[in-house]
Amino acid sequence: MKANELQFESSSECQLSFDKNVYSLAAIKKAAYKFAAEFATNISDKEKIEVKITFNSDIKKEEYPKIVQGFQHEVLDQDLREQIAKETGPIRNVILAEAFSKTALLTEE
Amino acid sequence: MLSPPKGKFRSLDTFNESLAVGYKLLPFRFIRLDSNRYVLTNEVGEFIVVDDNTLRELVSKVLQPNSDIYNDLKAKHFLFDDDSNVALDLLSLKVRSKYEQLSQFTGLHLFVVTLRCDHSCPYCQVSRQSDDRLAFDMSKETAAKGLELTFKSPSPNIKIEFQGGEPLLNFELIKWIVIEAERMNEVHKRDLQFVITTNLSQINDEILEFARQHGILFSTSLDGPEYIHKANRPRPGDDSYTRTISGINRIRESIGPDSVSALMTTTEKSLGSVKEIIDEYVQQGFHHIFLRPLSPYGFAIKTRWYERYDVDRWLDFYFEGLDYILKLNKDGLPFVEIYASIILNKMFSPFGTTYVDLMSPAGHGIAVIAFNYDGEVYASDESRMLAEMGDKTFRLGNIHKNTYEEMMLSDTLLDALEQSITESVPSCNDCAFQPYCGSDPTFHYATQKDVVGHKAFSAFCRRNMAIMRRLVTLLTDDADARRILMSWVRI
Repeated sequence: MKANELQFESSSECQLSFDKNVYSLAAIKKAAYKFAAEFATNISDKEKIEVKITFNSDIKKEEYPKIVQGFQHEVLDQDLREQIAKETGPIRNVILAEAFSKTALLTEE
Repeated sequence: MLSPPKGKFRSLDTFNESLAVGYKLLPFRFIRLDSNRYVLTNEVGEFIVVDDNTLRELVSKVLQPNSDIYNDLKAKHFLFDDDSNVALDLLSLKVRSKYEQLSQFTGLHLFVVTLRCDHSCPYCQVSRQSDDRLAFDMSKETAAKGLELTFKSPSPNIKIEFQGGEPLLNFELIKWIVIEAERMNEVHKRDLQFVITTNLSQINDEILEFARQHGILFSTSLDGPEYIHKANRPRPGDDSYTRTISGINRIRESIGPDSVSALMTTTEKSLGSVKEIIDEYVQQGFHHIFLRPLSPYGFAIKTRWYERYDVDRWLDFYFEGLDYILKLNKDGLPFVEIYASIILNKMFSPFGTTYVDLMSPAGHGIAVIAFNYDGEVYASDESRMLAEMGDKTFRLGNIHKNTYEEMMLSDTLLDALEQSITESVPSCNDCAFQPYCGSDPTFHYATQKDVVGHKAFSAFCRRNMAIMRRLVTLLTDDADARRILMSWVRI
């Protein structure tokens, strides 16, 4: 759903839903954390992941669609980050282990 | 046509075969740069700017092998293929260089030799005392214990910085510490440096001669042209500007042109005058300026000066200043903005920074330690500023009561360090600017009562993200600016 088509339930609330086959709960939670200065969220994991957004009182109503759009982009970005982390996590550990293996920072147990 | 001797080169088909196998991703972070571009950074902070489609093609493994962008991403260690397995070893080596300084431990040792001061700056972040109250002077016994602890650090580079108040009001103790430290260093053999952070109002021939003999450097405050400096930094006689400028000139004449540096602090009065402030630095013969916001400590909180502008107003001030400095450079005057220079060095130098605010883990204790006038030991300059406000959260111990081991292994220090590693801080861990940034636990504690802090509400995060976005944009889009900014990097 496009942000500008959203129905704001009251003066400061709206509801989004995300397909669980596409997005992870963690990606949505991480995105919501980043937007804490703009809105509070109530996230429920049902057939779909439902996100109820309540805008903070200092946010102007005309800014709502743009902020929601930013949140949707951030969810996509978080999803991509999960893919990258999944693929590169083992390589990252190899790099870090190799980087510190020859220093005095590590001691044998 | 000459053909290469057999065995010297692999055939072109060999490379095409390796490309056909595909590529693998190396770890990287990304963040939106603007409406249609992302900035990607790898484990050591090498960056590349790509559009939305390229990012998704990269992750989906459909980038065209040997295309320009493929080769760029490969050269900067964002992907590797069968032809570049050495990338892992190279990256490991670079990671090791970035973190090498951690093993050197504490380099900067602050001695708060007195809290007395002859100025009455409303933004004073250290909560100075009036200059007749000797109870706020450090004793020789405390200084001696401080030196003992200083030389317990394994760092090959020991910098002793005299802080206040106005440290020159206790010059006799400074002399004693310098001579004693030099005596101790005959055994310890470190690279020993001294800096006096001073408003220069007390400078005289005796001090200049002693500083010249012992290679002592001076760091002073210059907030801009006379009307701003005097308003920010009042003293009896209304002559703070004259005394500072006179002191700068006397040090240069007596000791050398690079023996004195200056720092400015932004107040509400500075906000519309960044060009005038920079012009003042140029006029006084400085080659750089550090455009700094107020910090949330001491009288800056009590007088509410800290609240008089928000981070967005300061950023407008900073960017106007940065643009002006770039223009000065384009017009032929080499001049550096120090904060940008620190970040650029984190971007392009193979080594990490010792600038405490932008370290991960935080520089608390492990890069800097503060010995207060009363023998209390703090994890940083800001920690002792907080303590003067009555909050001793970052107190590591007392010079007379605790051992070095007790202080450096205290939960106070280790907990703050552990929580300040940006690689594991929410929002920082996946931020593309993480390799360039720090965590500043004292700032977040002072503003949010939490050493980690919620970055969505953090002025530190907002300020650094904006500056880093601007620098990446300039480096990418403006060839002239890139040339100038790259000249600020000391490889």
